Amino acid sequence: MITNFKHSFARLLSVLCCCACLLLISVSCDKDKPKDEPKPEKAGAFFIAATGESSQYILTSDSPEKGSMSIADNFKQLELSGYTWIFNSNPSVAVGLIYQQGDPGVGLGYIVDGNGSLRESGQFLITSRFTSYGFFDRYALTSVGGVTPVDAQGNALTDSEGNPRSDGVTFNFFDLKSNFASHNKTITTLNITGNGEQATFSGIVDMGNGEFLTGLVVSQPRDPNAGGGASSGTITYPDSVWVAAFDANLNLKRIYRDDRISYSAGRFRSQYYSQIAKADDGNVYVFSGSYESTTTHPAGALRINKGATDFDASYYFNIQDKTGGYKFRKVWHITGNYFLLELYNDLVPTTTGAATQYGIVDVASRTFKWVTGIPAKDQITSTGLPTPHGGKMYFPIAAEAADPAIYIIDPANATATKGLTITGAASINAIGRLTQN
Amino acid sequence: MNIVGKILFLYLFIYGVIVSACAQSVRGMVTECASREPLPGVTVKIAGTNIGSTTDNNGQYRIDNDILKNNKYTLEFSFIGMQTVRSDGKAVNVNATAVINICMEDATFQLDEVVVEAKSPVQRVRETSFNVIAVDTKTLRNTSLDISHALDRVSGAKVRETGGTGSTSQVSLNGFSGRHVKIFMDGMPMEGFGSSFRLGNIPVHVAERIEVYKGVVPIELGSDALGGAINIVTGQSHRTFVDASYSFGSFNTHKSNISFGHTVKNGLFVRLNVYQNYSDNNYKVKTRLLNLENNAYSREDQWFHRFHDNYHNEAAIIRVGVARKPWADRLQAELTVSNEKQDIQNANLMKIVYGGRQRQARSIIPALMYEKKNLFVENLNLRISSNYSFSRNNNIDTLARQYNWMGEYRDKTFKGEGQYTMGEYNNSNASVSTGLSYRLGEHHRFSFNNVYSHFRRKATDAVANSETSTAATFMRRTNAKNVMGLSYRFELSKLWNISAFAKRYDVIVRGPINVSTTSTEVYKEQQRKFGTNGYGIGATVHPGAGWQLKTSAEQAYRLPSENELFGDESLEKGDAGLKPENSLNLNLNISYEHAFNKIHSLYFDAGLIYRNTRDYIRRRIEQRYGGAFYSNHGQVRNLGADIEARYFYRKMFSIGGNFSYQDIRNMEQFSADGKKLIYYRDRMPNVPYLFGNIEANYYINNCFGQGNVLSFGYNMRYVHAFFRDWESEGGDIIIPEQLSHDLSILYSIRNGRYNVAFEVLNITNEILYDNYSLQKPGRSFSVKLRYSFFK
Repeated sequence: MITNFKHSFARLLSVLCCCACLLLISVSCDKDKPKDEPKPEKAGAFFIAATGESSQYILTSDSPEKGSMSIADNFKQLELSGYTWIFNSNPSVAVGLIYQQGDPGVGLGYIVDGNGSLRESGQFLITSRFTSYGFFDRYALTSVGGVTPVDAQGNALTDSEGNPRSDGVTFNFFDLKSNFASHNKTITTLNITGNGEQATFSGIVDMGNGEFLTGLVVSQPRDPNAGGGASSGTITYPDSVWVAAFDANLNLKRIYRDDRISYSAGRFRSQYYSQIAKADDGNVYVFSGSYESTTTHPAGALRINKGATDFDASYYFNIQDKTGGYKFRKVWHITGNYFLLELYNDLVPTTTGAATQYGIVDVASRTFKWVTGIPAKDQITSTGLPTPHGGKMYFPIAAEAADPAIYIIDPANATATKGLTITGAASINAIGRLTQN
Repeated sequence: MNIVGKILFLYLFIYGVIVSACAQSVRGMVTECASREPLPGVTVKIAGTNIGSTTDNNGQYRIDNDILKNNKYTLEFSFIGMQTVRSDGKAVNVNATAVINICMEDATFQLDEVVVEAKSPVQRVRETSFNVIAVDTKTLRNTSLDISHALDRVSGAKVRETGGTGSTSQVSLNGFSGRHVKIFMDGMPMEGFGSSFRLGNIPVHVAERIEVYKGVVPIELGSDALGGAINIVTGQSHRTFVDASYSFGSFNTHKSNISFGHTVKNGLFVRLNVYQNYSDNNYKVKTRLLNLENNAYSREDQWFHRFHDNYHNEAAIIRVGVARKPWADRLQAELTVSNEKQDIQNANLMKIVYGGRQRQARSIIPALMYEKKNLFVENLNLRISSNYSFSRNNNIDTLARQYNWMGEYRDKTFKGEGQYTMGEYNNSNASVSTGLSYRLGEHHRFSFNNVYSHFRRKATDAVANSETSTAATFMRRTNAKNVMGLSYRFELSKLWNISAFAKRYDVIVRGPINVSTTSTEVYKEQQRKFGTNGYGIGATVHPGAGWQLKTSAEQAYRLPSENELFGDESLEKGDAGLKPENSLNLNLNISYEHAFNKIHSLYFDAGLIYRNTRDYIRRRIEQRYGGAFYSNHGQVRNLGADIEARYFYRKMFSIGGNFSYQDIRNMEQFSADGKKLIYYRDRMPNVPYLFGNIEANYYINNCFGQGNVLSFGYNMRYVHAFFRDWESEGGDIIIPEQLSHDLSILYSIRNGRYNVAFEVLNITNEILYDNYSLQKPGRSFSVKLRYSFFK
């Protein structure tokens, strides 16, 4: 009875639909039929996340050094937009992190399977906001500061005046070897540096010995009435840098401190971009973009030698001196002693100040070169997460009036050539290389 | 109540009827005997001739003709649903005006083949050139629909919901929605009314009719409505009545209402309306399960009962006033109070589930209205309305827990399932609307309307933290808007009329803006002004034989909001140089109605619409400018057709339906930064473009007794599948086709005094979505009992 109903009304509907179609001239009925056949999966060594007008898509490419492809030839459309993609090499996995304002996000994992095909390897819930992220041991790790810590009963810990504390830092661990099984832990940071201040963390560098390093933004507690979009409060000590070493249980192993540069973190809105990275020889370079307006130090870098428990007192690199006064916001390791820097367009950085000029530093020779062969700084509308491959940096750039493309930067001479163009995309968010595990 | 005598869709919009100043004339007022309410639209004829007129909005009529001179004549008053009345023969002196006031009695119960006459040509004359649909809610009062569900059955309109009872709903008119469609109640903008008193929870019986203006909006609704307007007209009846109902249905849903109205002899009237909605919304949904042990999602979808979606809403509207005094035709005061509390079950992706988040809203709205006809001079009418609304909204998310769809949870180490908040924001809005109209002679009518509104928002958050708030979050913002309109209508004869109007929009916004260029934010309150002009024309022709043609056009605007002008205080830059969004809206309608031998009757309406919308205000994020900002960009064209047809057979059977198709496409070739757009000429994403309804009713009259009616109703809702994002981007996320069927059985006893209705919605238990991933309820049952008494 019900099916009969459905059929007869479906017939009636089709008649009415045709009437509606006939009424209008410029109607193409077949184009509008949503595709339901699944797209054939194809193996691709490079994983590219690109955004159209609002939706994010995953694309794959074997050779992003040249040519072009359309965003319509995507591998998959994602349910949510705004994923931050990070790539781990062992195991080889792409991890999409997302936290929507006020709502948890659904994280995604992608691998290249035994057949060489890209495949979703898991979906997992991301329950807390994150302002810094990276890989450590078998985990993808995120952290966020400025959190109100709670006791075992779920009650907020309060300060001496009864106000909720804001010195908690919540870490989320996503186990790459166990379907992203996750656990989280909140630690308190009050007086972590022994000066009564609290800290927010920036960057995660796996030391390979069961510890990771993270940069500290040491500040006063946030004034609950002040606002400011950031987890940290007023910076009392803008001329010092602290780096903490934690183990897998978030036990604080040691703190590195120095007074030659400012804190090691790139600031953008509420985010704390990593400015510490490991060179191929295992030495860790701690950069400081010298964002804080009150610091007297220029943007520069220090070194923690492999296995050392202190900064290398003999190493100091005044980068700002070489850039013509420009400070930087982001740092990525390319190969050897080469690092790519993202520099502010203006001499005085602001929280949302534009940063679309790029340079290469050689931390060994303490040299700096501007990257050439990329669009001019006032033409760049967005950039994405770069990935090093074969000694080059694969860097997604979108510029005015052009489809976004992957630029291949040779760090030795700091020149770039234009690689794969993604037509129809507004921006490329990330590129990474995945291999079979 | 005789259902046959009513039909679902009545086109109603009344402009005044001409009265000339000639000497040989008769005039008077027609009222309803019981209520002494003026009766508009009554046909007044000189018996035995075709000479006559109809009563205007205020029940006034006037006939000027030489035949009246020194003659005895009889006037015949007829109106659908009323017994025809004949006046006694009366003589009229030369150069004098006779006054004949009469009252008419309700004749609904005696009428037989009235179906089509309910849309008699007389009423059609009253239609304006606007593309307007008025939904008469009388026939819907035995259902458990709210206003948004009633709107969903209007051609060209679509309502999209995020869940069950009390969920967020969004109305779209020919592809426009959100800030482009403005909502009014009795001509006053419903700004700042809060979510406890909105289309999605006001039951249909609160409205007498719902007017839907597509694209071209009369000046009486003063707002920057780019894509159309919806006006909820509450009952203005002075009758004495009691209407009480209670319904109970699936998912532990209870709805009830009592309305009461009474008028005493000296013109004092009181009217009370109280209603309540309650539901557990524990319907089943198909989604993925989160494993609380390892935080990973299941690979397959499973079925779950919603467990944290309780909703309840209560409201009361009380109105007192006086009518027909020498100093006021109507003066009334009104107070609306409402409250709502809702559990929040899931995020925008249904697999993200909550077990403790809540939302609460309260509002209180006092209002005052004054109306005076023939102010100082004949034919000059004044109406002043004002209201003040205050609403308080709370969002609560304090649990340190993570839930899954089984209703299980584990503890977390920080507060808030999503964003820890006990946030509160208060909105207040004051509006004053002044309308003045003047009729000059037989052919000209001038109207002036001005709406001033002042909106103010202030947020507080007891546990605000850095993550979502800045100092400016808690600073006040205000938005003062003034919309002034002037219209002129020329009616050469009953066969055709033409009108033109112009609008002036002004807005003054105040809000905090970050004036700092360093990392330390410094906020200053600033003020910005904005203004523009709009205009439109309309014409309608009645060539006879049941046909009507009408056309209208408007250059419509939407002014930039305070966020768009100021930015969001920290992350976004505003732009004081923004242009208003604008749209050229054209409508062409043709309608036909005819009764054959009073047995078969047919009604048909087809409308073509054209919308060309430019200068969309878009939020852009660009690294080279260091973040988000607003700019005018984009052009969207919509060419669409709405078709509606109804057939009636005696008083036994009716079938009808409407279908809408809109070819709504992006006509912008380049992005704001100059990239060639892959989706040039694509259909606008996430907008339903082909949809319709079919409904049929079958009546068994005098079933188990005289005056008792047993009726069966069927309703079908269809929405074609549509893409969530641009089709040319090659995505595969769609909102699937929706086809659902509802059935109802109604037994009305003693001409509608007692009613029992039984409804089954979504009888085939389809999985329905209006929005991506947000599943709506499956099959549900409800029983409604209603008592309705009119004196």
